[in-house]
Amino acid sequence: MLGTEAAIADALRVCLVPLFGTDVGVERLALLAGGASKEAWAADVRAADGRHELLVRRAGGGVIHSHTLSLEDEYRLVSVAYAAGVRVPRPLAYLEDLAGRPAFVAERVAGETIGRRIVQRPELAAARAALPAQLAEELAKIHAIPLDAVAFLGRAAAGDVVDRVERELDAADEPHPAIELGIAWARAHPPKARPAVLDHGDFRVGNFVVGERGLGYVLDWEFGHVGDPLEDVAWPLVRSWRFGADDLRFGGVGRVEPYLDRYNALTGRNVSIEELDYWEVVGNLKWAVGSVTQSRRHLSGQERSVELAVLGRLTAEVEYELLDLLERAG
Amino acid sequence: MQDRPDAAELAQAVREFLETEIVSTLRDPRLRFRMLVAINGIGILERELAAGSAPLRREVASLARLLGLAEAPDDPDARAQARRLNRQLALRIRGGNAPEGTLAAVKAIVADKLRIASPRYLERFR
Repeated sequence: MLGTEAAIADALRVCLVPLFGTDVGVERLALLAGGASKEAWAADVRAADGRHELLVRRAGGGVIHSHTLSLEDEYRLVSVAYAAGVRVPRPLAYLEDLAGRPAFVAERVAGETIGRRIVQRPELAAARAALPAQLAEELAKIHAIPLDAVAFLGRAAAGDVVDRVERELDAADEPHPAIELGIAWARAHPPKARPAVLDHGDFRVGNFVVGERGLGYVLDWEFGHVGDPLEDVAWPLVRSWRFGADDLRFGGVGRVEPYLDRYNALTGRNVSIEELDYWEVVGNLKWAVGSVTQSRRHLSGQERSVELAVLGRLTAEVEYELLDLLERAG
Repeated sequence: MQDRPDAAELAQAVREFLETEIVSTLRDPRLRFRMLVAINGIGILERELAAGSAPLRREVASLARLLGLAEAPDDPDARAQARRLNRQLALRIRGGNAPEGTLAAVKAIVADKLRIASPRYLERFR
């Protein structure tokens, strides 16, 4: 590990010369908590114009879902979002080969990202009150990005999402009647199709940087794709992303109505709560099969990890919520 | 037969040691988090070992009833049997031919899984 760290620091210094000049130096490099499929490094860099705090995202051991973006496309997507005024940490450079793996460099930002703390900490109460409207505004900006700016992304219609869940379940080779029930329900209740937009793909508490006044930045764009806007709108409602504050359906921080009202006011899409119900079921389907798939990365030896192993057993939590939603939907 | 502690008691001893003597010594927050995940994993093991074969037998009986099998085929490998019956049920659901009462039966089976995998989630659920 220390060898890797030294190699990355050396390679990073060379890669940063075009950005900061020949006398750039890496003062500190540390592996941070974060994305399971990619490494995240904090790098403090000294250059002629002063000190820079950087975040380096570097390819890791594997991928979570079959449709994860490459680091290069994630960098392109974040650059498009940044140019469109979305609150993302400023992207600085894409590096094809950082000690043998691709990586990208962005400014490093401060704030809370841990879901459980965001829904619980007393000092973040004002942030929680502000988040529903702030997140609606950010999502409206993302969904307004012209599709020709992200022509490099794949497309997924509503039916495609359910088909993909089924394919991933088949690949895991373990029977899950609960997930099958969810797939059958989703196919029997196809939603009204809406014109496709740029979807962030993982827009939920845990992927936001939050400060005392609320939203700082939107992170983790690796699931970006072109799809139904409601796939994004409903994703933060999924119970797993309420981090124990289960009564607050919007991400454990608030009610859905102020979020949806603000989103509708900004986009004119006139989304109803009933439409979100369908996408909340599909969100739980996606995460149920996602946790099965993640445990397979451990079991297959692709990425040995006690976290991924235990996640396989927590599939039952998502299945239970899924079945409860189906029961209530009748 | 192995001497005491039995498997669940041994898992409990390991978990208690990690909780009381190791967690507080970990300064790296990532390592501390993974230790808590590992402790949770040992807790799952403890409950699974303590429950023995009863949950699996309940699941097999419930699936057999749902699938209209007069009685569960007698299989010494209950895990393989449960897997086969789950696969049959999954195929029925996918074929649009789920038996009456499938949703309630599957929910009860998942609740049984949670009693081992995440009992607090089930208790808090509403």
